[in-house]
Amino acid sequence: MASKRRLGVIVVDPLPVVRAGLSLLIEDRPDMEVLAEAGSTTEALEAVRRIRRDGVVVLVGLGLDGEHDSFWLIRTIRDRFPGVGVLGCGANADPLSISRALFMGADGFLDKSSDPVEFLQSLRRGAAGEMVLAGPPTEWVGAIADGLERRQMVETTLTHRERQVLEVAAEGLTARQIASRLGVRERTVTTHLGRIYMKLGVGTRVAAIRVAASAGLVSVGTPE
Amino acid sequence: MAAPVASVARSVVSARVLIVEDHPVLRSVIRVACEASDRLEVAGEAATGEEALEAYRASAPDLILLDLSLPDMDGLEVARRLRRDAPQPPRILVLTGRREDETLFECVRAGVDGYIEKKAGVRSIAVGLERLAAGERLFTPEQERAAIEGLGRLVRRAREASDVAPTITPREREILQLLSRGLTMRQAASRLVVSTRTVEAHMAKLHRKLGTSNRVQALAKAADLGLIRLA
Repeated sequence: MASKRRLGVIVVDPLPVVRAGLSLLIEDRPDMEVLAEAGSTTEALEAVRRIRRDGVVVLVGLGLDGEHDSFWLIRTIRDRFPGVGVLGCGANADPLSISRALFMGADGFLDKSSDPVEFLQSLRRGAAGEMVLAGPPTEWVGAIADGLERRQMVETTLTHRERQVLEVAAEGLTARQIASRLGVRERTVTTHLGRIYMKLGVGTRVAAIRVAASAGLVSVGTPE
Repeated sequence: MAAPVASVARSVVSARVLIVEDHPVLRSVIRVACEASDRLEVAGEAATGEEALEAYRASAPDLILLDLSLPDMDGLEVARRLRRDAPQPPRILVLTGRREDETLFECVRAGVDGYIEKKAGVRSIAVGLERLAAGERLFTPEQERAAIEGLGRLVRRAREASDVAPTITPREREILQLLSRGLTMRQAASRLVVSTRTVEAHMAKLHRKLGTSNRVQALAKAADLGLIRLA
């Protein structure tokens, strides 16, 4: 009876020590259990797919890198498994990474360095669908909100194609390289870029990339 | 009053408070309460937002007690400007007539340090200022939660905007923009050199995408999502 109500947690983090620590913390609670640990996005998705039951939350460490990073994982779980809770988790994450995680579909963010009691309480409340922030100071709410609004602005201003061009441009590619990556002509890319600058109210590519980065559209630096 | 005791405690540096409150009676009662505290000193008073900014420049207080409803501007606007322009932003205690979650979120977002309701009483206000002076922040866990829920609303809106935006065609945006300037459907149609029926058809599609059923709702929703800018 009691075991039926237990909250099932899938712990995702690239670092085994972090996974082990989080699992110990969670397993110590009678009302929670760790269903799986995953060290990559592939493992994480496999676990989510395999475990079919109610009351599951995935704790996604924001440090997963590569073509499919933590933010991609959050978005994918949110899209493919809408009944499963997703919480971002990090150590010393910055406000922008947090707003990015929230935008991509996280129900909240838990800082690994926050007080264990607060961490677990927030985990439970977040799993119930409440927006939670455990750890980040309340002062960050402003910066997180700004990030979300910038993201909304970029999302509503640029077309899908323009966003793609900007994302690739942020990797530092030339117009020709962008063109070959996206399979279009170079002229098309420069036209897109011109329109992007105009829409974002900037004059250079560097400035456009800066706007995209400040909106969490493209990654700059590490999320942790 | 207990003058000798107070003079001993004065050796501790007291925090200088600017009281921003448009109601003269409340303002003077708060002043008296602050003066009664040996940890507070009144640096000035202001009854409007402009006066508050002016008084801040003149006296550079450590703390500001800020009423949210001022005759000339939103108290939050005062807070935002101070946070933006002041070389060393003062700590701000917001004073409000009634509790609203949305306001609470906006306060936290503007970076204020505490939030207190007028009905808490003048003594509590003075105590709140003392605690702020000591470096505390004055939000109850319940208030913090309400503020974070506000962030949740922002998240949902941003997600919805990015879901809906790609489905809106440039022509549909154009129509929304024209209607937002007060044009009728017929005027919008003639501006775009199409028939009124065509504009109506576009609107029907827009309602479906935005989940709205009349024009006012559609415009409000479009503005909220950032699809159009209301002039």
